Amino acid sequence: MVELLLDPKIRVWVFLPIVIITFLVGIVRHYVSIILSSQKKVEIIQLQDSQVMIRARLLRENGKYLPKQSFAMRRHFFNNEETGYFKVQKRTAPSQNPMTDPGMMTDMLKGNVTNVLPMIVIGGWINWMFSGFLTTKVPFPLTLRFKPMLQRGVELTYLDASWVSSASWYFLNVFGLRTIYALVLGENNAADQSKVMQEQMSGAAMAMPPDPKAAFKAEWEALEITEHKWALQNVEADLLSTFANDSK
Amino acid sequence: MSVINKSKDNKPEPVAYSEAALRNNASVVEYCRTSMAALSGSTAGVLGLTGLYGFAFYVFAVVILWIMFMVRAGPNWHKYYVSRQSLLTNGFFGALFTYVLFWTFIYGMVHVY
Amino acid sequence: MASFHKIIVIVGFISLFHSAFSAAQHRSYLRITSQEFTSLPLDIMVQAVISLFAVMWGVLNVAGNLREIQAAAELNATKWDTQLNFPSFYIFNHRGRALAQNYVRSAGKSELENSE
Repeated sequence: MVELLLDPKIRVWVFLPIVIITFLVGIVRHYVSIILSSQKKVEIIQLQDSQVMIRARLLRENGKYLPKQSFAMRRHFFNNEETGYFKVQKRTAPSQNPMTDPGMMTDMLKGNVTNVLPMIVIGGWINWMFSGFLTTKVPFPLTLRFKPMLQRGVELTYLDASWVSSASWYFLNVFGLRTIYALVLGENNAADQSKVMQEQMSGAAMAMPPDPKAAFKAEWEALEITEHKWALQNVEADLLSTFANDSK
Repeated sequence: MSVINKSKDNKPEPVAYSEAALRNNASVVEYCRTSMAALSGSTAGVLGLTGLYGFAFYVFAVVILWIMFMVRAGPNWHKYYVSRQSLLTNGFFGALFTYVLFWTFIYGMVHVY
Repeated sequence: MASFHKIIVIVGFISLFHSAFSAAQHRSYLRITSQEFTSLPLDIMVQAVISLFAVMWGVLNVAGNLREIQAAAELNATKWDTQLNFPSFYIFNHRGRALAQNYVRSAGKSELENSE
């Protein structure tokens, strides 16, 4: 096949600018999303609930190291019928629909603004400005199946599949520069879109607090059926026996 | 104290790893790996490697990086890494994409035009 | 030591760029004289590969120190006094007050606020 000869001006005015634009847009996106991101506010009630749950669980698991009376005292604090913490506190079930929460909505909007919008705008701009160039050639042979992927905007049937058009070169850069962002901006940066998308997906599930009412009920039941068995019943005898063995 | 020492000698104790140190080491390794992929991709582009030679060069660069890790850690490498094999194979394909991008980029810059 | 490795990285990068530039020049020279490209001159190849190794080694040393992953390694460094410190078991309201009766308490927060 005859080697195609490209104008060196394409290198300077198309090939290199696409790389630089893609890279810099990623950097800018990182800083813009830092500006836009709002610190998640922690409700004091929520924090209190989680701390109480932790305390109750600790008591259940490690209560055997307490004397019986101390254990009963602590359980009384949580489980007493009239004054116990789990009985007195009345929590309302949180709203189930994240769409009704305005904070959640703005978060999602911000995520879209910083992720999807630059992708569309910059992609469209590059498509419009740098359309129809063959920019480079991948240095390895590819099958014909890669042609629509690598030669977007240049529909020539007889062209070898390893040539890359400008629009495709942009997309290759978008996906390939991710690791470089990690290198330049540090781990967990916002320039990486896929990670942010994942966070959004899981964030919607995580931000919804588990129903404290049900959790309290479960913890109350668990604590109620816990039987106190003192682990340090024979501690003196055990200690003495180890010393007796050691001296032999 | 003597009791504890004796029991240590008798049977191999399960080793506890520090989570923070593991993560720190993993991020350092990841940093080096990404740099290596980008740099070796650029070098492959400069050399004008094509086809399978380029991928062979990637494997070569990965092995060289692994040897460098080993040289740097010295004989007591297990103080820093859990296993040597996973150091060689982890993130092999993730870095390959970076490698191919830089290879294509520099190859285009140097050899196509 | 770290700055030494940084210099290695910088010099290696410059060398790598130089070899890339030489390779591009070589290609354009071949194209002008309409010769067939077979392979790069040996000196450019050697320069590229050596600068790659130099930058890799430099980056490896610049990237940061490895920490020992065994949990015991860090715990071994902590002092006995640190280990014996249990903040949960602090008692402030104890009989020491009876032993030191001439001790004057420093002004509490509320008193300080009132005095202002």
